[in-house]
Amino acid sequence: MNNPDIIQVRNLGKSFPPMLTIQDLLKLLMNKKKPVKALEDINFQLTAGKILGILGPNGAGKTTLLKCLCNLLIPDQGTILIDQYPADKSSFEIKSLIGFVDNEERSFYWRLSGMQNLEFFAALYGLSPRQTTLRIQELLAVFDINYIHKRFDSYSSGMKRKLSLLRAIIHNPKILLIDELSKSLDFNTSLSLYNFIKQLSLNGTTIILTSHNIPEAENLCDYFMFIDQGKQSALGNLNDLRKQFNMLDASLTDIYTTVIKNV
Amino acid sequence: MFRKINALIKKDFLIESSYKLAFIMNIFSVCASLLIYFFINRLFGNKINAYLEEFGVNYFSYVLLSMAFFSYIGVGIGSFSSRIRLEQLQGTLESLFLTPTKTETIILSMAIWNIVFATLDVLIYFLFGVFLFKINFTNINFLSAFTTLILTIISFSSLGIFSASFVLIYKRGNPTAWLISTLEGVVGGVYFPINVLPGYLQMVAHCLPVTYAIRAIELAVYQNYSVYQLKNELLFLLIFSIILLPLSLKTFKKAIRTACRQGSLTQY
Repeated sequence: MNNPDIIQVRNLGKSFPPMLTIQDLLKLLMNKKKPVKALEDINFQLTAGKILGILGPNGAGKTTLLKCLCNLLIPDQGTILIDQYPADKSSFEIKSLIGFVDNEERSFYWRLSGMQNLEFFAALYGLSPRQTTLRIQELLAVFDINYIHKRFDSYSSGMKRKLSLLRAIIHNPKILLIDELSKSLDFNTSLSLYNFIKQLSLNGTTIILTSHNIPEAENLCDYFMFIDQGKQSALGNLNDLRKQFNMLDASLTDIYTTVIKNV
Repeated sequence: MFRKINALIKKDFLIESSYKLAFIMNIFSVCASLLIYFFINRLFGNKINAYLEEFGVNYFSYVLLSMAFFSYIGVGIGSFSSRIRLEQLQGTLESLFLTPTKTETIILSMAIWNIVFATLDVLIYFLFGVFLFKINFTNINFLSAFTTLILTIISFSSLGIFSASFVLIYKRGNPTAWLISTLEGVVGGVYFPINVLPGYLQMVAHCLPVTYAIRAIELAVYQNYSVYQLKNELLFLLIFSIILLPLSLKTFKKAIRTACRQGSLTQY
């Protein structure tokens, strides 16, 4: 409890300009077309070394929230402090502190091998060639990867996903953001990923992940945030949620299905 | 910063060299375009040569040099936007901006790669020029040619960065690249000297940096003009660079911020 909060989010809001047809454009000019609200009044703080699971249906705003945290999206309102750095003013510092596993396969150079991709991103994160070699060897051993010298375009979805994780942690970030935790991963890989995440958290890495697999999140996370239609509908550990919704013996799945249905 | 620039250039080299056929085709396309102008020169050379007296060369020598030099101009204008567009389509633009890499570093690495790539093109032109078409480059003033080259690269890279800013926001339909490539092709003096043009088009040509760049390089290479003799052309390019480079970098940063507000970095 003595650890300071590594992430603080206050009144975060994010809207996107609407996708416009010609009719929409006319409505917009006449102020009748409103921007699409993706996030509204999100508040939370997280202590170093803890794992927060963000849960919600498709289109709830989970990915948008992660992208705001790692500065890929600029919020319209609210504040984000990452390790005391304000996100809007310290983009460079924040990016060094964060690793982001996105759910997008198209985020690598497909004409390069996995190794060449990792070496490239390691350099952009400021690692020397020697540090990069050591770090890649260390990570390959953990994840039992033997296809790293093959070209990325020959990888399966699961292989790409593993490489995405390796890229996100190559610079030993203080904060790891994972969008859709076990997407495309087989059972064994998922299990080793869970162990790895727990180990990272024990070593002090703060982790925020999104998942559609509620039991998986219940096993892994210290805290949970339910989010739907951009609004935060619950926040706390499992006991907090049980008390909040008066479901004292309920599992996270029971609470989630009740709460999200009610939103 | 050096390590990051090195990594960005190495990545571009590895990707480019994975398309081996494209490199070979490029050599053939340079050769084909030179042959076209070689035969145009044979057909109309005598008529056009009268307009080239101040450069002291025939039409083919003029056009070979301007086309070779145009590689730097064309790559400067087009490649920033096409590279940004490629990163958008590949989905890697967001991954780049996720790393603690300054915009200037990304731009500088692109510029260096552009120069390397254009230099390869220029070498092909010169090899064909010297060994196949027996063009004489011995009269070159290296200092003037180098100064012209540097100022041209800075000027046209600035226009290229503007162009890339449009691509970041509007994805397609880039008016800067269209306007510049159309104007420079028609009135910039690349394919024929501007004194062929009617008076009103010559006035337009005198507002374009490409006109000064091509004239300066032709005179430096074929007529051994010194920096002092090219002061008007070089001064124009210098002013153009001083105004446009900081403005284009500012515009590009603003475009990134706008894309981050709109959430459109990965959209294409």
